[in-house]
Amino acid sequence: MLVVCVLLSLVALVLPSRLRSTVAGGLRGSVVVPLAALQERAEVSRRAVLAYDASLRIADSVRLRASQAEVAASENERLRRLLGLGASLAWGFVPAEALHGRGLGDDYTMTLAVGRNEGVEPFSAVVAPDGLVGMIETVGARSSVAIVWPHPDFRVSAMSVDGAAFGIVYPHLGSGATRFLLELRGVAFRTELQPGTLIVSAGLGGVYPRGIPVGTVLAELKTAEQWVRNYLLRPAVRPVDATTVMVLQPQRAKEGVSVAWQTSVDSALKMVMAAGDSLAKRRADSLAVRERARLDSLPAQHPRADSLAAPAARAPAASAPAAKRPVAKPPTDSASATKRTPAPRPAP
Amino acid sequence: MTLARVLWFGLVFLALVVLHYTLRPVLAWRASIDFLSIAVLLVAVRARPGVATVVGFAVGLVSDSMTPGSFGAGALAFSVVAYAASTLKAAFFADNIALNAVFVFLGKWVGDLIFLAAEHRVGGSEFLAQALLWSPLAAAVTAVVGLLVLVMVRPMVGTPRG
Repeated sequence: MLVVCVLLSLVALVLPSRLRSTVAGGLRGSVVVPLAALQERAEVSRRAVLAYDASLRIADSVRLRASQAEVAASENERLRRLLGLGASLAWGFVPAEALHGRGLGDDYTMTLAVGRNEGVEPFSAVVAPDGLVGMIETVGARSSVAIVWPHPDFRVSAMSVDGAAFGIVYPHLGSGATRFLLELRGVAFRTELQPGTLIVSAGLGGVYPRGIPVGTVLAELKTAEQWVRNYLLRPAVRPVDATTVMVLQPQRAKEGVSVAWQTSVDSALKMVMAAGDSLAKRRADSLAVRERARLDSLPAQHPRADSLAAPAARAPAASAPAAKRPVAKPPTDSASATKRTPAPRPAP
Repeated sequence: MTLARVLWFGLVFLALVVLHYTLRPVLAWRASIDFLSIAVLLVAVRARPGVATVVGFAVGLVSDSMTPGSFGAGALAFSVVAYAASTLKAAFFADNIALNAVFVFLGKWVGDLIFLAAEHRVGGSEFLAQALLWSPLAAAVTAVVGLLVLVMVRPMVGTPRG
């Protein structure tokens, strides 16, 4: 039996390739069909597994890029707002990179990458496009340290944006999530503030100029003091989000900065108004275009004197000798005369 | 051999053949497991040399049908290995686990050498690398898996005839 099998194998080996392919194809098409199908499915499965890994990698990288794009977009937005604030302030400020530590106590202070060399002075207000961040405490040659509003020593005299209520803003020394809120204390009892009311710096005390947003009223705090009202505020700025800030120089603080934030507050309103106006503007533009087209079409029918004279008057200016030549003044009441008078050619 | 054992044996044989065409392509190892060799050797140690040779020849033809370029080489290799295994099983195939592994290893390696020599496709250094590196590696992997299979199926299909 071995001899027979070996002989058959040898015959199979020496068969012409076409015949071998025919025999192999016959086997694949009959006996081996299930096995061939199984192998095909296995290889497809393997390719699918490999492709899944690759597609997962692609999806991950796309997701990563998308998240980076979001970060870049928010960074752009933040920088645009900072530029807007810088444009509004115009002078008397020092832009600074805020270096956030991650250690204990770093929630209360912020190191700025600018110092005395850049014009930073102690007790200068530190602001961001959204509002008040804190105050410069110590100044070095090239860096400075500011306390931010969660600091227990932070105080700012404040008022409601309409000037109806005044008080002092303190950090809310609660526990948990409310630790990072503010309190407006000492508001006259007769003045009741609604949630959402914007609180700005009052400009009293000489450190913080008037009009910098500090926070918005969340709720009234119930205390034992019955002659004043205290309010819980949501801060205008989260210090951890403030990566670029501006240090207001004392002279600028004296001049007042409320216009800068007033501009930003008003900008949304202006945008809404601009959107409404754009419809009227577009309509006016279309009317103007129509009117201009109508006027342009007039010279062809009723030419005006100045437009008719223009070609003849412009051409001599191109050349001084030519300008010396007498130029026949076209009759002002005839278009055909103008057309007949050729424009003088420049002298060679 | 009882009918139940024959059925179990057929089932194991079929499972090995199916694994060769399903698990092997999925794993796609360079030194891959040769389930067909395990199946043929499993038959060879339980059948007479003539039957083992026919089974080896048939399995080889099935294997060759997937690679028409070396059509006949697999049949030749499996026929010789099956015949040799069936003839030499008394000497090699004992209850000793290590000897069983050596048996599978040698069966696979010799089969590969015959296949490489018969197909005449590779030569020179490539032949040497295949014969002395990849084939022994594949034979070792196959021996390990063959050993596992033998251990698992022995209670069902019984011990080989003496």
